[in-house]
Amino acid sequence: MDGDWDEVSRIPFPPPGVHAMPTPVTTKTFDTSQELLWTGNDYGRVTSFMGSELQRYTSFKAHLIPDGPVRQILVNDKGVVVLGSKDFHMALRRGTPLWHIRHDEMKDLRCMSFTSKGTAEVIVAGLQDMMLVIDLNKGEVVKQVPTEYQYSIMKRGRYICAATKSGSVNLLDPVSFAVVKTWNAHSALINDMDAQHDFIVTCGYSLRQGQNYMLDPFLNVFDIKQMSSMPPIPFPAGAAYVRMHPRMLTTSIVVSQTGQMHVVDLMNPNTSNVRQANVLTYLDMFEIASSGEAMALTDPECYIHLWGSHSKLHFVDLPTPIEFATPEEPMPPIEWTQDTPLNSIGLPYYREVLASAWPDMVSDVGAPPTRFDVQFINSLKPTDFGLYGRNTRGFRRNQAEDTRNVNKSANAGLKAPKFLSEKARESATHDAK
Amino acid sequence: ELNTELFRELENGRIARLMLKLGAINERQEFEGDRSWSENGERYMLKLFRDYVFHQVDSNGNPVLDIGHMMRCLSRLDAGTDERICLTSRDEQTSFLISYKELKKQLGNAFGELQKGSKQG
Repeated sequence: MDGDWDEVSRIPFPPPGVHAMPTPVTTKTFDTSQELLWTGNDYGRVTSFMGSELQRYTSFKAHLIPDGPVRQILVNDKGVVVLGSKDFHMALRRGTPLWHIRHDEMKDLRCMSFTSKGTAEVIVAGLQDMMLVIDLNKGEVVKQVPTEYQYSIMKRGRYICAATKSGSVNLLDPVSFAVVKTWNAHSALINDMDAQHDFIVTCGYSLRQGQNYMLDPFLNVFDIKQMSSMPPIPFPAGAAYVRMHPRMLTTSIVVSQTGQMHVVDLMNPNTSNVRQANVLTYLDMFEIASSGEAMALTDPECYIHLWGSHSKLHFVDLPTPIEFATPEEPMPPIEWTQDTPLNSIGLPYYREVLASAWPDMVSDVGAPPTRFDVQFINSLKPTDFGLYGRNTRGFRRNQAEDTRNVNKSANAGLKAPKFLSEKARESATHDAK
Repeated sequence: ELNTELFRELENGRIARLMLKLGAINERQEFEGDRSWSENGERYMLKLFRDYVFHQVDSNGNPVLDIGHMMRCLSRLDAGTDERICLTSRDEQTSFLISYKELKKQLGNAFGELQKGSKQG
């Protein structure tokens, strides 16, 4: 890896409201086709940032605030896929929603992964006994897979690698979702995991002296080709986060909570390249772009740090252009007078039916006005702007009435007071018509 | 002369019909609590578009009443052009980029739904 890596920019993560306190990032991921970094927060909000300046792009709510934090974000060619604890949202990169799924079996979702069908299907799992397979083109649950394990992290390598909450990793077949192999990676729990090509790497905790959770001072490595674990790679500072380098297939980047970053070759662990990120407290997340030329770190002070080489930082090798609002060309000013015709603006060129086209409908225009019975009018209080009082007429608010009904208009004003039951029956027949 | 007059009236009718549709759709009480109108629903954009067209303000937050802006927006919606606009929520936390074409489709869907529920449709 190059020697000129450094912090390129650092931005505060936007707070959930104008006067609200900032909240930390709950999940983040680099886009794989545009120069965007996607982030989620505790309030179900997804925000994207552009390029090396991390300029704010779009922002939308994937789920409602009571449903908790955004758990994971994935991207495909169509848009972004957002996992919440109880629902699943897909939107265009521009923010427009595509579809949203809430399912009875979505109870406490934590993680998801693409399956054998490229980026057209995902499997979602969590601290629950059911996994769901979702078709991203149709936007529907296509299969339910019962599971005896509960998962917190998933990564798609050759297999779907799924970390359980007890420190082991299950290798799932990406077609049948059956457990192919279980690997006991850490004694207490797994803090971070990545999978690529032939390797799975994990950082985790063990229980020390029976009561304290301590980060293990090593990185665990599993060789998928041999189906066996490799000797752990020492990391005295305590390995908290790890990512495989997307280009250098045997290289991984390990980060401690205090910001010490090591670039380690799994095949040759003795040569490592060390960097220190400037963090005042500790780091709570780490992600690398698919180009391998950018890394994002976040801290509990709600800052996003972008690392890379100043000269060639980019997220994607061949980025597709980011879509912006169409620039408005300046219009000649029009002075609007009483006589200015509305068509001075003109209609853009079109070939389809206009939105203003109304369907064929019969409209009733000449009906006599609604009459109110005396009893109702007497129940109203007069003021200088009119009469007011409760709606006791037995009609809905703004209910259309058939004032052409001869019987009714003949009797209007002479009607005997009605019992509540009669009123209810009358409004019921009205509704049914 | 006669043609100008004719086109002008045609235009007024078109705008009126579009406004009638928008009026029939927006802020209906029965949509309250409906998921597709909530902040992550697909109809949310129609609400924000109404604000974009009719509730324009200047840098001090004072209302801007520019018939030109309103007419331009409505004409583009009517034709469903490919131009994209940025719609921002009232709390300024949410920003969408959406084309008039997509908006037109949503308007059509929302109106179609009303029609399905109505006696005459």
